Amino acid sequence: MKLRMRLALTTVAVAIPVALCMAWIHRAVEARALETALSEYALVHMLSGGRERCEAAPESWSSEPRGPPPPGEWKEPGSRPPPEWRSGGPPPLPPGGGGPGGPGGPRPPRGTRLFAYDSELSARNPAAPRLDASLVEAMRRGQDVASLSSGFGMREPRRILVRMPWGTGPCAFVLVHWPERSGPREKFPSIPLEFWLFPSVLALAGVLFALGPVVGRLRQLTREVRTFVGSAYQGSITLRGNDEISELARAFDEAGHEVRSQMELKEKREQTLRSFLENTTHDVMIPLTVLQGHLAELQQRAARGETVEASVVAAASQEAHYMAALIHNLGAAARLEAGEPSVQRAPVDLNALVERCIGRHRPIARGQGVQLDYAVPEAPVRVIGDDTLIEQAVSNVIYNAVRYNTRGGHVAVVLERLPSNTFRLRVLDDGPGIPENELSHVVERRVRGDAARTRGPGGHGLGLNIAWRVSVLHDWRLQLGPSEYGGLQVDFLGELPPPS
Amino acid sequence: MGERILLIEDDPQLGAQIADFLGRAGFEPTWWTGGRPLQPGESSAYGLIILDLMLPGTYGLDILRQLREGSDVPVLILSARNDTADKVRALKLGADDYMTKPFWPEELVERVRARLRRPVMQRQSLLEIGALQVDLQSREVRVEGKPVELTRVEFDLLAALAKRPGAAVTRQWLVENVLDPEREGSERTLDVHVSRLRRKLGPGKHVETVWGIGYRLGEGGET
Repeated sequence: MKLRMRLALTTVAVAIPVALCMAWIHRAVEARALETALSEYALVHMLSGGRERCEAAPESWSSEPRGPPPPGEWKEPGSRPPPEWRSGGPPPLPPGGGGPGGPGGPRPPRGTRLFAYDSELSARNPAAPRLDASLVEAMRRGQDVASLSSGFGMREPRRILVRMPWGTGPCAFVLVHWPERSGPREKFPSIPLEFWLFPSVLALAGVLFALGPVVGRLRQLTREVRTFVGSAYQGSITLRGNDEISELARAFDEAGHEVRSQMELKEKREQTLRSFLENTTHDVMIPLTVLQGHLAELQQRAARGETVEASVVAAASQEAHYMAALIHNLGAAARLEAGEPSVQRAPVDLNALVERCIGRHRPIARGQGVQLDYAVPEAPVRVIGDDTLIEQAVSNVIYNAVRYNTRGGHVAVVLERLPSNTFRLRVLDDGPGIPENELSHVVERRVRGDAARTRGPGGHGLGLNIAWRVSVLHDWRLQLGPSEYGGLQVDFLGELPPPS
Repeated sequence: MGERILLIEDDPQLGAQIADFLGRAGFEPTWWTGGRPLQPGESSAYGLIILDLMLPGTYGLDILRQLREGSDVPVLILSARNDTADKVRALKLGADDYMTKPFWPEELVERVRARLRRPVMQRQSLLEIGALQVDLQSREVRVEGKPVELTRVEFDLLAALAKRPGAAVTRQWLVENVLDPEREGSERTLDVHVSRLRRKLGPGKHVETVWGIGYRLGEGGET
């Protein structure tokens, strides 16, 4: 539903009950005025000769006024409406009563009769109606006037009992009988049109007039937001002011900028991911190509019935091993990029971990003619950390030591408890090592751009970078240096959890 | 014949390869290509179970859970996912070891051997390593039955290595735990003691030097 329609309906819905309420008050006041007028009429009638006539023949006295009441005494019921009604139109007349009937004022309507009752509230005149219990009760309580009506509205029959000032004799109380008027009975008060129509129309017009600029601004805001969204959140919303609509506009503007910055971030990440994927593909494709070359050579030799050279098989194995290590590293890199939530913290048995790493690389070391040995303390060394990440880190260092070693070389892995509740996991080799000035760069290579291309001479890149990042993640230190045997020595140094 | 091993692996090539390698390593493999719950008592026929985690239709961990309700046969899990959470879950459910694909067949055979060897305690007072006998109680050493006289330090050194046959022990540890702390103990002193010990034990590489680490007690052959 449109805003205007909604507000117009609301206005109408409020105006109708208010108008009904006012009409009811109007009717109540009118009825009260009628009662007052009739009781005053009775009093005046009795004072101006009625009492004498009544007391003279109480058995038959009943008066139907014929002549006009004394001037100024009789007023038309409803001639004293509340001031605000005056502006609404002419006050309603009692039904059946005419307009002003003469110079002395109107006479009461035809059929109005008076009956007299004595101080005990019993009538001498047999024609007098029986008094209702509520009227009797009201008089006994000491009221001067009591009224009874069988319905709401001016057409209903009405009885008004009036206490006379003398209070004794056969005519101590006078009942004014107001007969039923002709015309349909009113269940509900009829409401003059002007009462509700005029104020309602005025309120409606006011509401619609005030709403005009608001609707205009809202439409403008809608147009601007559509343009803003259509331009992929470029630019900004220009609607200004200091009302709630401009606040909404500012909120839209802020939301748009937030969306835009998130989109830019996402795009940047996608770009990184794309280049990472390209580099990774490159990295995997090379060993795969080399492996295919080796396999082709083996196939040809086998087809020709020649003996297969062990070195070709070993080289093929190495390529396969390299690919496996690379893919594991990519998985580890992804988890490290994702950050803390994907990292587990659980007890890790470093002894078993070292044994697993040795088991993984021993076949390839054997094929390459490199002696791979390890030593662990008799009692397991336990730390808290992420098992697979630590294994990948240690495995990388061992693999590098094996891979870049020469035939007849050695690699040793030593896990030791050190004093002051720390441990050291050392991997040392007698391979070519890394020049001192390159040591610091080797670790800091990030998995970005060309750095992901880890292959090639001295390409320790990704593997060592992961070892370093895993160490940082576990609050360990990764120390690289020349070993006493001329190769590389890599130490993982960390604290042990306090003995429980 | 070797220990019976149950292999549950759905991939035909990998399964055949593993079964082949296990057979050549002296084990007696049984290969199931699909996962199904083991009958009660069925598992006791096997010395070890190798279980692939990703089987069609069933989840390997469910088989493991069900198996663990009535059996403590060692279980080695194979998985293509190198995920710590998976690993921790499998170990919590009672798996004894967890291997990530790809792996070398030798590596798998090595792990199987290690798992089957593990429960055997090496804590008796008489240790036998190849032709070598070391009695920790009476501090007597024999090579091929013939007694060998050793000094206190030499015996302690040999005992330290004999307690963990096949495992390398660092020089540092030996210096700190075997040499007399009263006298000046250094790695050079240790090497001197080792060369004397080797001479007394005679031919055969009983005490092996491990590059970059220290020493290890071998089987004594010409390895």
